[in-house]
Amino acid sequence: MQEGLTQQIREKARELLTSAAVDCIIGYERASDGLTARPLFAYEPNDVDKLIFDQTCTHNLSRFLVDKRDSTVAIVAKPCDSRAVNLLLAEKQIQRERVYVIGVVCPGIVEATWGQINDRLQARCQLCREHTPPMYDFLVGEPTAEEPPVEPYHDVAELEAKSVAERQSFWAEQFARCIRCYACRQACPGCYCTECFVEQLDPQWVGIRVAPAENEFWHIIRAFHLAGRCIACNECERACPVNIPLSLLNRKLEKDVLELFAFRSGLSAEALLPLATFKKEERLGMGE
Amino acid sequence: MTQIISRQDLLSWLERLIGERIVIAPAQSNGLVLFQRVSRAEDIVLDFDNTVLSPKESFLPLSEVLFTVAKENGDIKLMPATVAEEMVLFGLHPCDAKGMAVIDQPLLAAPADDLYQQHRARTTLIGLACSQAGPECFCTSMGTAPDDPSNLDILLTRVNDSYIVQATTEKGKALLPSDLIAQSEVTAPPPPSPQAVPTEGIVEVMRGAFESPYWSRLADRCLHCNLCAYVCPTCYCFDIRDYVDEGGIERVRSWESCQSPGFTRLAGGYDPRPTKGARLRQRFYHKLSYFPEHFGHLGCVGCGRCVRYCPVNIDIREIINDIQKLGAQSEC
Repeated sequence: MQEGLTQQIREKARELLTSAAVDCIIGYERASDGLTARPLFAYEPNDVDKLIFDQTCTHNLSRFLVDKRDSTVAIVAKPCDSRAVNLLLAEKQIQRERVYVIGVVCPGIVEATWGQINDRLQARCQLCREHTPPMYDFLVGEPTAEEPPVEPYHDVAELEAKSVAERQSFWAEQFARCIRCYACRQACPGCYCTECFVEQLDPQWVGIRVAPAENEFWHIIRAFHLAGRCIACNECERACPVNIPLSLLNRKLEKDVLELFAFRSGLSAEALLPLATFKKEERLGMGE
Repeated sequence: MTQIISRQDLLSWLERLIGERIVIAPAQSNGLVLFQRVSRAEDIVLDFDNTVLSPKESFLPLSEVLFTVAKENGDIKLMPATVAEEMVLFGLHPCDAKGMAVIDQPLLAAPADDLYQQHRARTTLIGLACSQAGPECFCTSMGTAPDDPSNLDILLTRVNDSYIVQATTEKGKALLPSDLIAQSEVTAPPPPSPQAVPTEGIVEVMRGAFESPYWSRLADRCLHCNLCAYVCPTCYCFDIRDYVDEGGIERVRSWESCQSPGFTRLAGGYDPRPTKGARLRQRFYHKLSYFPEHFGHLGCVGCGRCVRYCPVNIDIREIINDIQKLGAQSEC
């Protein structure tokens, strides 16, 4: 089945490049380990035979759309990735007519690191609700019936059940390992600020010191800036070299936004983002 | 005759060292093997591929106070930071030891970086020869080897349940536990053979590749995080900031990398490396061109950490191959 997906992607890519409908295809190619995948930018019809799609294609390529906003590009998008395309459209970061989305019906992505593949599906894929992209221009693969995941927030609920002191010490231990390489931010399609708050000098929100207070500040603000925006591709956690469980933080906020606003990010390009929308009739709930 | 120590006696020796001084060694932390301060020899991991972070953190910490300024009775006092306690760094592989030797060149050249020099002077390096090479390893192409004792004070090589002990410096010899070491006829097993990378002539070829569009195409997929630089045993760039509060001022330095967007931004906003391609190129020119032009050998030691951990598989081995091919094409 996956060879079929690769073939269909290559054919579409060749057509788009040959007709000069796009300047570049952002897809996947085999990584240097010969096993896993990495992003590929194909500019010439000759490059398209490098394109692949299989269960190691983990990257959320929509992260590159902001870099390429001055070109017209086609992008290979899994359902979660296409939700990020919707997010970028809703936030007016990219223009719809400059992005051609080759959506892929996703078989789920397996756990893998460079040089090693584990056959188990990634945790995020075990919780997947959309195996067919919510938006695309051309679809590859056959849509199947969706089965909603059972208890998608069981790990978040476990953490919520703990006391404040227990949660504090859990996160302090996790954040203590952070080396502030910002791979989590750089991998994220939602983190596109030209200057991140963490690097601003005036005002200086957080210093360069790598220490518990600064690390905690960085992680809390990163997570809050993605509240109601994160589409749970989990690229941040995958990029982290020291295994900080960022998905727990992200999904706690995702759960809160779902409960408070009945909203999941990226399902439509027209949706109003709950935390970026002000309605006069809304009450702040602070005893006003 | 060679000197050997049994695994059991090695742990006793380490326990003894822990009682006398700071011991930094590979130990488990949330499923990762990281160099960290250990308080029990039993926590030390003796068999591992490579730690996620290199041991440079012990000499050039992620963050470190350089000096403090305080007011005392109307006077302003500047107090440089000092490090005094003796330290043993145990368990580094020869590639990481070579990494320390690489960083020594810019940081110990006069005028030496004072704190770095103090960290180095107080530390004895006890290395472990590699019994196997990872798929990402290429140390033998970078001027070291899985059994290279040359940048260590002591090298241990595992043979069955014992370790051959080679003390190569006076500092190393002074630390050896004579009561725990035996003489033996055993010889070291042949070292593993890491993959070879064509580094011969790379410095010359790099000279001609600066303007190649190769770099901007490669940078398409680069995320421009600092991960490669932070896991690297030879990257040594840092940023400096003053922390001011009522008690005084602390001048702090933290790791920084040429990949981050603000790294070369100057006052007034001008940035000599404004594009992703220019920034990514800098990483490889520093290691494969500028560093060897200045110091006579490559600024990479082939530990393979960047290969293993880069989230988008920017692979220095592949880059060296590609640049050699570019060089060969331009000669035709």
